Amino acid sequence: MGASRLARPGPIIQKMSVIEGDRPATSERIRREARVVGLRDVRAPSLESVERRRMQLWVLTTVLLVGVSAGFALLTLVPQDVQIVSPNAMRIGIVLLTVGFCGYAIEKELHLRKLSRMLVDERVLSTALSNRLHEVSLLLDAGKAINSVLELRSVLDVILRSSMDLLEGRSGSILLVEGEELVAASVRGNAMAQDVRVPIGDGIAGRVAVTRDALLINGAPSESDFPGLGTREDAVDSALSVPLLSRGELLGVLNVNANGQREFTEYELRALNLFAEQAAAAIANARLYEAERSHVAQLLELDKMKTEFVARVTHELRTPLTSIIAAAQTAQRVERFEEQPEVVEIIERQAYRLSSMVEKLLTASKLEQQESMSPLRAVDLGALVRIAARDFGIAGREVILDAPDSVEVLAEPDSLRRIVDNLVENAFKYGEPPIELRVQRRGATRVLLSVIDHGVGVPEHDRERVFDKFFRLPQGGDRPGLGLGLPIVRGLASSCRGSVWVDAAQDGGAAFHVELGIAEAEREAS
Amino acid sequence: MIRAPRIVIVEDEPDTLLMLRLNLDAAGFETSLAADGATAVRRITEEQPDLVLLDLMLPVMDGWAVLAELQTWSRAPSVVVVSAKNTARDRVRATQLGAAAYVAKPFDMDELLALLEEVSLDTGKVPAAPIRRPALEELPGLDGLEPA
Repeated sequence: MGASRLARPGPIIQKMSVIEGDRPATSERIRREARVVGLRDVRAPSLESVERRRMQLWVLTTVLLVGVSAGFALLTLVPQDVQIVSPNAMRIGIVLLTVGFCGYAIEKELHLRKLSRMLVDERVLSTALSNRLHEVSLLLDAGKAINSVLELRSVLDVILRSSMDLLEGRSGSILLVEGEELVAASVRGNAMAQDVRVPIGDGIAGRVAVTRDALLINGAPSESDFPGLGTREDAVDSALSVPLLSRGELLGVLNVNANGQREFTEYELRALNLFAEQAAAAIANARLYEAERSHVAQLLELDKMKTEFVARVTHELRTPLTSIIAAAQTAQRVERFEEQPEVVEIIERQAYRLSSMVEKLLTASKLEQQESMSPLRAVDLGALVRIAARDFGIAGREVILDAPDSVEVLAEPDSLRRIVDNLVENAFKYGEPPIELRVQRRGATRVLLSVIDHGVGVPEHDRERVFDKFFRLPQGGDRPGLGLGLPIVRGLASSCRGSVWVDAAQDGGAAFHVELGIAEAEREAS
Repeated sequence: MIRAPRIVIVEDEPDTLLMLRLNLDAAGFETSLAADGATAVRRITEEQPDLVLLDLMLPVMDGWAVLAELQTWSRAPSVVVVSAKNTARDRVRATQLGAAAYVAKPFDMDELLALLEEVSLDTGKVPAAPIRRPALEELPGLDGLEPA
């Protein structure tokens, strides 16, 4: 495509120093010339005063020449006897005077020409310098602006607005790298670019992302030059696209477009590229700040969860203690009560409850410190879930069982039983009956243990967090419990080299799954 | 004849509920029971008791909601809160919601009985058969059991 011109930026510092370095010398020469040509205003001569001086010089010369011609004519008319000096001597004198004056006029004219050329040069240079100063001050202002905000979205908006102001662009965009794509993060003047996603390598920005070289494109870009070029609502006649690089890492691409009369120059490409360096640093800072802020929020959240956890544990431990102390004090008034055996049972039952809580806390702490558990061995999961279902049934909690007679998994028997108990207890506590307990083979090497309830289920965004220590679903509310059941399940499952997750049952209830390895397959694998 | 003070015991832990009933019956209170907040409000409405012994962490409707409900009544019974939650904030909140006293779990049965007698005296009712409170030294092997 003939109309397009691609250019790469080079250093611009050199040009600026040329202007700065030449300036004092030029002024001195101008002053000297002004003195030579006899200008009144020697300190700051203007082109106008030079023209005036030149006019004076030529008017004087013309008057002199006319005077000399008239002198010659008069000389021929004057009678011979009246003449005091010889006419020839007079003529020679007049000619010499004329020649002398003409020489003077020509010399002044040469100086005047030189001076006016120097003044024109000076005017051009000072215009260029003031333009450059304007750009530098815009760059400085933009730099200040992008460093005065920390929130990423605002930083991107300020960068785009500043670069468009700097170059008087009609539209522009910032695309940020997300995986293998560039994603529009800030857009101005081109609604179609909103939310656009470009594979790296496609279109103008995609090319810049690959080559990491700034591009200047004058004339409408074509699909043949830039495969994958996006469509837009208005024509672009001139475009600048520069990479946003911070410490060698590509963060994104900054684009500024113009149309109509405006055509970007190579100089503007360099200016934008320079600006992009600052902009990329500001983006990197904003990202760091946002990461830090979200980290602090996470820590605060964790701290809050820990405080709530301590309050919950305290409450949960006090509840059986209250029963035990009340029962013990009641038992001392044994003569008053016929219910004495029941009172003693209460003490025993609540003491067991307390002990199971302490056990849970210890298990959680042990799993946290990753203390080694007993070695894994083949455990019949089919038999284990049958016994568990029977035990729950005896306690008045019916569980629907769907499991093969026998399937051996590699696990630690106590851990496996605790996994089943915790999941079933969890289902009774937070879900709705009927509670189903299923065991299925998954392929040749894995077994899936599932506990399914018919309650409200776990919201999708909390499905990972329910296994976090201290985390409680809002609907868990003030229900009793330490909130350690699921974290313990995950810890125990991973100590049995298994994985655990939750999804939705068919009717929306929660379905907790634990996947374990079949004993034989695991043995062969190791 | 002086009527025995009526008390509704609200507690979701069955064992604690049973122990409270045994001791309060023996102390001469006329007791009735509720294991959740909604039942408690119904019982209080039906029976117009003189006292309510109220746990805070309850299913269906918690103790705070019960307190708030009672506060809107023109003739509400005196409420003694018994809870394992024991922060200054909880105590202040309970008092603001009109609780007459706040007892932290685990509680001492004798102290609780003494408190209930005191509160019921304010209501003009006294237990029919005040229990004999044994002195600590009369009780064998109690060292260390006394709540701090």
